[in-house]
Amino acid sequence: MSLILALLQQMSVFLVIGYLFSKSPAFRPLTGETLRTRHKIFLYFIFSAFSIMGTYFGLPVQGAIANTRAIGAVLAGIIGGPLLGTAVGFTGGLHRYTLGGFTAFSCGVSTTTEGLIGGLVHLYILRKGRPEQIFSPPIAFAATFFAEMMQMLIILLLSRPFSDAVHLVQAIALPMMLANSAGAALFMSIMRDQKSMYDKFGAIFSARALKVAERTLGLLTKGLTPQSAKQIAGIIHEETGVGAVSITDHERILAYVGLGADHHREGQPIASDLTIRAIRENKVIYADGVHEFFTCAISPQCPLGSALVVPLRVDGDVVGTIKLYEPKNKLFLNLNRTLGEGIAALFSDQLLRSRYEEQKNLLIQSELKLLQAQVNPHFLFNALNTIIAIIRKDAGQARELLLHLSNFFRKNLKRSGDFSTLEEELDHVGSYLKIEKARFEDRLEVEMTIDPGLLKLRLPTFTLQPIIENAIKHGISGMLGKGIVKIVARVHEQGACIDIEDNAGTYCDQLHGGGLGMNIVDRRIKNLYGERYGVQVSCKPHEATLITILLPFQGGTIS
Amino acid sequence: MIRALIVDDERNAREELEAMLQETGAVEIVGSCANAIEAIKMINRERPEVLFLDIQMPLVNGFELLSMIDDDIMPHVVFVSAYDDYALKAFEEKTLDYLLKPVEPARLEKTLEKLSSRLHSGSQPAYDTSELRQIPCVCANRIKLIDASQLIFARSDLSGIHLVTPQGEYFTELTLKTLETRTPLIRCHKQFLINIAQIDEITLLDNGVAEIKTLAGHLVPVSRRYLKNLKETLGL
Repeated sequence: MSLILALLQQMSVFLVIGYLFSKSPAFRPLTGETLRTRHKIFLYFIFSAFSIMGTYFGLPVQGAIANTRAIGAVLAGIIGGPLLGTAVGFTGGLHRYTLGGFTAFSCGVSTTTEGLIGGLVHLYILRKGRPEQIFSPPIAFAATFFAEMMQMLIILLLSRPFSDAVHLVQAIALPMMLANSAGAALFMSIMRDQKSMYDKFGAIFSARALKVAERTLGLLTKGLTPQSAKQIAGIIHEETGVGAVSITDHERILAYVGLGADHHREGQPIASDLTIRAIRENKVIYADGVHEFFTCAISPQCPLGSALVVPLRVDGDVVGTIKLYEPKNKLFLNLNRTLGEGIAALFSDQLLRSRYEEQKNLLIQSELKLLQAQVNPHFLFNALNTIIAIIRKDAGQARELLLHLSNFFRKNLKRSGDFSTLEEELDHVGSYLKIEKARFEDRLEVEMTIDPGLLKLRLPTFTLQPIIENAIKHGISGMLGKGIVKIVARVHEQGACIDIEDNAGTYCDQLHGGGLGMNIVDRRIKNLYGERYGVQVSCKPHEATLITILLPFQGGTIS
Repeated sequence: MIRALIVDDERNAREELEAMLQETGAVEIVGSCANAIEAIKMINRERPEVLFLDIQMPLVNGFELLSMIDDDIMPHVVFVSAYDDYALKAFEEKTLDYLLKPVEPARLEKTLEKLSSRLHSGSQPAYDTSELRQIPCVCANRIKLIDASQLIFARSDLSGIHLVTPQGEYFTELTLKTLETRTPLIRCHKQFLINIAQIDEITLLDNGVAEIKTLAGHLVPVSRRYLKNLKETLGL
């Protein structure tokens, strides 16, 4: 009984060392999912040390040593597999052998065997596909218990004189089996807790990173502006809990949130050496506050002592920086350092995307301008020619046509805004059609059926004009007989529909190439509202071309 | 007085030009046409000295119209267009002039001066007219474009020129002479043109005449005068 207590006592010392180990950086390799060879070699030394310590802490009993050597060997086997287990067991065993005594050899053999048993348990758990059970204390208990039984058996088999061996086993079997098993289980439990703490830590870290990503998503779609920078800096400050956060472009502070905001002012030129270096060298600069200090260039009273400066890059060029600061009395967490670099990478991606979007929009805008400019001369000269002819016959009509022409051009010029109502679009198109009607006379007939509920529908400016012009320029004007253009605006289950139909049916050949004007209209709508909307063309040769513009619509207005 | 024909699909444009030409007092307007068919008919009938021709017209444009006119009655051509970026360049030297709509009276005066001197010197206008791919035909109240390679033969009678195709027979304002020079059809008779790809057999008859049987079974006469020519074309 006293032996059990004594063994438990020395096991406690052992556990304290184990506990300290679990808190030390040496424990880190065990937190990963898989062990590399490098880690295994490291663990070999650690567990071998445990095993040897177990022997040293042992109590001399009848010319042998009651000990906790088995714990190191079995655990090494369970955690690292048969090879590591056997190696640790052999090392611990060899050490025991050198200490002598009538069980020296049998103990050497049995410790090696125990390491191997641990390794076999490891293989068994993996084969069952339950790797999470490797750190299970009950399994460690059972494995060690079994391994100790084997040890007793080996002592009986190998130690001579046999009677002494029997005597010894009677005395130490139970205490050692219990003490080693309980020790192994407790040791495993310490490691498991520590490991799960690391996992939880990782989970918190991931959650925080994801939260920053989620909250800032889309903020940079308009590029790096003081507004977007302010919002982002606020979010990072909140989520990381660092002393202060600042965002700069390559010259100025765009946003500053946190400690020292009294003298770190937005709009100021960049003063910090660290930032200037980060921009110039296009690399992350880290002043940890221990080896390298952040020294405020503006105010000596500045509470900040450490900083991380991460460049924001677009296409490899630095367009700004994100800076995280901690005050002098606080350590800059490694976690925040990693997080900061990750956030900067995320923003760089967003900025690249926003630049792409911006260029795409610019392209569409300029194409639209080109289109507006391109339309006019042809239309203008034909219109003027028609009006000049009409002046001879009907000055009143000519006057009216000139007013329509002026309305058309005024609207064309003024329409720099992105959106108009359907009513405005129809007015613009109406003037255009009045002039074309005068030009083509009986050869052009226009039928309009507009749902009055749609008159306030907002749509991108210059949506109808290019399509109606196409219908006349490429359709009706090539017809000998009567050309009819039908314009219908109706509410459809998927949105608002505007149909433009002509009876020429000449668009079929161009269907795949598509007219420039129509393509731009389509792309603008898709860009604004998504792929579901846009322009659809269907054509029956020599009979009809139907263009359908689908726009989102809910109860009269569109945001 | 210069005899002029105006061709433009827009009535207002035609009327304006008519008025302006009349105001000059130097021009007699022999007609004013809205499309190519009318124009060819009028040219063949009236033999105008000058054509004021719009380029952008339905079905048959101004350039295409030129290739439907017989060389020996080809009038001088003045293109009239609102499109100064049009492929006019190529025709610039060949045509007498081109005017931009709306037409300025002073500019028109210059054109007429140029025209007068040309007419005076008696120079014949010659335009590089391209091969006709499509032939406009009148059918009922519309105009149909017949693919030239689809023709079997063409014949003329008192009512005019008829084109025979696998789809049927069509009436055209184009002359046999135009068809002979601008399409792959060859002359086999004073009143007939034949597409040699459509010949099935040729039967030689008495008096040096012959008869062609087409693949579709039509019989087309070959006159003595053109038999030799036909044989040469066929390599006989």
